[in-house]
Amino acid sequence: MEEQLAELTAQVAALKGGGATTNTMFAEMFYYLTIPLMIIIHAGFLAYEMGSSRMKNVLSSGVKNILAFAFMIPTFYFFGWWVYWGFPTGLTLSAGEAGISGAAYASSIAFGWGESAQYMGPNIADNASGVFFGAFALFAATTASIMSGAVIERIQTVGFVILAIVLGSFAWVVAAAWGWHADGWLVTKFGVHDFGAAGLVHAVAGFFALGVLINLGPRIGKFNADGSANHIAGHNMPLTVVGLMLIIVGFWGFLMACVIVPGEAWSWFGDKFATIYGTPITLSALSFNILMAVAGGIIGAWIWTKDPFWMMSGALAGIISTASGLDIYFPALAFIIAFSAGIIVAPAAAWLERRGIDDAVGAVTVHGTIGLYGVVMLGVFASGYPALQGEGVATISLFGQIVGAVVFFLCGFVPGYVVSYILKGMGMLRVPEGAEIAGMDTVKVPAQGYPEGIPTSPAPAE
Amino acid sequence: MGFPYDEANWAVVDGAMYMGHGSIMPGVYTLIAAVICVAVLFIGHKSEAEKSAKH
Repeated sequence: MEEQLAELTAQVAALKGGGATTNTMFAEMFYYLTIPLMIIIHAGFLAYEMGSSRMKNVLSSGVKNILAFAFMIPTFYFFGWWVYWGFPTGLTLSAGEAGISGAAYASSIAFGWGESAQYMGPNIADNASGVFFGAFALFAATTASIMSGAVIERIQTVGFVILAIVLGSFAWVVAAAWGWHADGWLVTKFGVHDFGAAGLVHAVAGFFALGVLINLGPRIGKFNADGSANHIAGHNMPLTVVGLMLIIVGFWGFLMACVIVPGEAWSWFGDKFATIYGTPITLSALSFNILMAVAGGIIGAWIWTKDPFWMMSGALAGIISTASGLDIYFPALAFIIAFSAGIIVAPAAAWLERRGIDDAVGAVTVHGTIGLYGVVMLGVFASGYPALQGEGVATISLFGQIVGAVVFFLCGFVPGYVVSYILKGMGMLRVPEGAEIAGMDTVKVPAQGYPEGIPTSPAPAE
Repeated sequence: MGFPYDEANWAVVDGAMYMGHGSIMPGVYTLIAAVICVAVLFIGHKSEAEKSAKH
């Protein structure tokens, strides 16, 4: 009998060990796969931005976008990851109740030197840090890409890269620390809920771009002397539209990366998925609501515009407008909110243009305005939901969501305006007029986008 | 540098396994990588300004 009990105990222990190993491998693989999916977002922005450029600037726009990605990753490694863990409780950098925030904690896990380096490199006992870092670094790259499209065809490359670093490795990270982290003061004090980062990624990046655009100015020929605007068409609408569709594909990875898997020491639950706030979520919830939001956004934009560019922008607006509450919206409500976002996206962009802002791809509106719209909409519909896991936590409210929206706006607009103003003063923001007229590919890129032009196709075979 | 454990045997590895673990080298590498990024931006800006000035 004792032998059988011992054997049974050993078998149970082996089963537990096997289950734990499987869970750890699953968790690591889950986040690992979000990274290439999010790189598809970047591929989408690349195509979108190049297609929206005139032929004389197509490669220069591509170079700028690729460089943003390349500088985002190391700078997020050097200090962006530290900012996320250091800033949640505010500018004091003090530790929060969850015990995973503050300067001391951040310095123990997020620097590439000293003892913390063990969490910033290959470690057989750590299956989580690298994939979490990777997912967040790709969130950062997404913010830079959002800003990148708005400023095409006249910004200096290095000036742009500096702005991308400030946005991707600092500005949005502070917003994420405040509005996403379990110790974030917007979450613990105001019950801010922004599951899919409508505010802390999209709105921050969109309004950062607005701050830059004010100092950068419009492209030559965009506005007439009487203030009326001319449409400057990109050279390849199909490339732009396919790029937008790729962004939507990538957003499945982005939103998947916003989920905390169960069963690990750092998980919220042993048996179910959670949001980053520790509130319950399922991937099925995402499936229902993302699909309905994409559809609603496209249909809403189609009503006014009949234009494939705005229809696909409407799809993005649909996701962004519902992103804050993709975990809890009823699918038909997600459709309605996305539909309304699709309706307002093109008129909102036209309103901005009438104010003299030349946003070449509508990024300020699609990501900024619609991002804040989404944050506030959640306050309208989800008031009373607990914003965090646990007893006595703050609840979602319209007031809290408005406070969050204002903070996200400021986190984007202020650094975007201030840093671009400084760069402008240093002569690092805008290319000279002659270079802009000649086309930036001729000035800066030792390659041709279309060396044989874009001829008509040869006759088909007999 | 090299293998960061006393005995050259994977069985003794129970944590960090990158080159330079336990030494100052990760910090040195990080510093060099950061300097490369800054230097490339300086050089890139100079080159861009020269090319733009021709137009």
